[in-house]
Amino acid sequence: MSPLTRIGLTPIRTQFTRSALLSQRFFQTSSTQRFDIPFLKQIPQPPGYVVGNVNDAYIPPHASKTHGSLHWTTERLIAIGLVPLTVVPFVTGSFAPVLDAVLSVTILAHSWIGFQACIIDYVQKRVYGSAHDYAIYLLSFGTVIAGLGIYNLEANDVGLTGLIAKVASAKKEESK
Amino acid sequence: MNFLRSSSALRLNTASIIKRGLASAPEAKPVNNKTFKIYRWSPDHPNEKPTLQEYKVDLNQCGPMVLDALIKIKNEQDPTLTFRRSCREGICGSCAMNIGGRNTLACLCRIDTNVSSETKIYPLPHMFVVKDLVPDLTHFYKQYKSIQPYLQRDTVPEDGKENLQSIADRKKLDGLYECILCACCSTSCPSYWWNQQEYLGPAVLMQAYRWLIDSRDQASGIRKEMLENSMSMYRCHTILNCTKTCPKGLNPGRAIAEIKKQLAFQ
Amino acid sequence: MARLSGLQKEVLKLYRQCLRNTFKKPVENQANFRNYIKGEFAKYTDLQKKEFSTIEYLLRNGHKKMEMMSNDSIKNIK
Repeated sequence: MSPLTRIGLTPIRTQFTRSALLSQRFFQTSSTQRFDIPFLKQIPQPPGYVVGNVNDAYIPPHASKTHGSLHWTTERLIAIGLVPLTVVPFVTGSFAPVLDAVLSVTILAHSWIGFQACIIDYVQKRVYGSAHDYAIYLLSFGTVIAGLGIYNLEANDVGLTGLIAKVASAKKEESK
Repeated sequence: MNFLRSSSALRLNTASIIKRGLASAPEAKPVNNKTFKIYRWSPDHPNEKPTLQEYKVDLNQCGPMVLDALIKIKNEQDPTLTFRRSCREGICGSCAMNIGGRNTLACLCRIDTNVSSETKIYPLPHMFVVKDLVPDLTHFYKQYKSIQPYLQRDTVPEDGKENLQSIADRKKLDGLYECILCACCSTSCPSYWWNQQEYLGPAVLMQAYRWLIDSRDQASGIRKEMLENSMSMYRCHTILNCTKTCPKGLNPGRAIAEIKKQLAFQ
Repeated sequence: MARLSGLQKEVLKLYRQCLRNTFKKPVENQANFRNYIKGEFAKYTDLQKKEFSTIEYLLRNGHKKMEMMSNDSIKNIK
């Protein structure tokens, strides 16, 4: 690593720790830095991100409520819903199968939306093209598998709350 | 009478102080050198890598702000140093740069008087550099244009002169209209770093909100429609670097949250 | 010929676009524009293939310049 690249990294690190992860070309002249995924092929971006004339307005992506406000509202509802769902079994100490199933499904939905946001942020469609779609497919696949696991846990086993209780009690015995 | 006499005495007094001050100026101000490390890159030699160049400025011979130091360096040490500046009082937004790891306006940022540590000055992060401290804001301005930052109405005011607004409605624009589009907030936003082609960034979104809540504007339907996709606004993850860095003390984070609320409850 | 990288293709694309734009200029001055374009590109022929950031910068600058020069009010170049 040349001293110059280190020079480029220092001031940013003081303010935003995340950038320290970035590659060597930080703060170079021509490319603004992205979190490059090394083994994926990238689509070249328009020079200076300028599409069309310099004086043309930027054209936003196609409008769609399911990707916009509805998505955001669901995201928030799930996140808010998780709070009582997690607290209730702890406080009451009881085990209700329906409540437990709802909790596990909400956690799954929450992580699905979270990972989806990560993919949209870092494996962008405009840069990685079809790799973005595959990442989304992989996420959906993983979610379905996890959903089956949850079904199995709820239907044939102790359920999520029960599982945590089991693990906790096992640890207690171990420490004894 | 009494008053007159005392004021003349005061004048005499101040005059003597100024005299004394001038006479003793050279001894009173020792050299107090502060080191500035400034990012340099010239488009005339595009294959040379950017460097940090060191400059020493005597703080006792220099104004209090970083912009004063930059101008002093440009005047006295290195005329090739390039940066944008205009109003020197935080109203034009030209001198936005990254000073000591923080995006701010050079004209509003005091020089750190601790001479033992050096101050590093970079252009705005994650922007294409034109030269030295000058970033290329073309795409930023294109994004600003895309939100149609002007009044849109179907009807002409009744008196044919001006569109009136109540005091309460005007109050809603406070904290939004002061934005000078210096791009400090947008370039401090990690989401904008990764997705600046499609994500509009806090500065532009705050202006979108400014036109959305303007009681005189009648195009809020189209304005909201433009933001209804996963990229334009919903890449904001409330990191709030924008609010933290804003040199004018505005709150773009809140403005974006308000738009999200409007879209969710419409 | 070896397979060109994405960046090299971009450079060639820009070069072709520039040359194509000269046909919109007055016939007697087209040679001037061509000379200028060839000169600009020739300046950096010895640039290393791996100097991505430099090439990207030159591409950006080139596009800007091309847009400026393709303005109809520009009739000649020296």
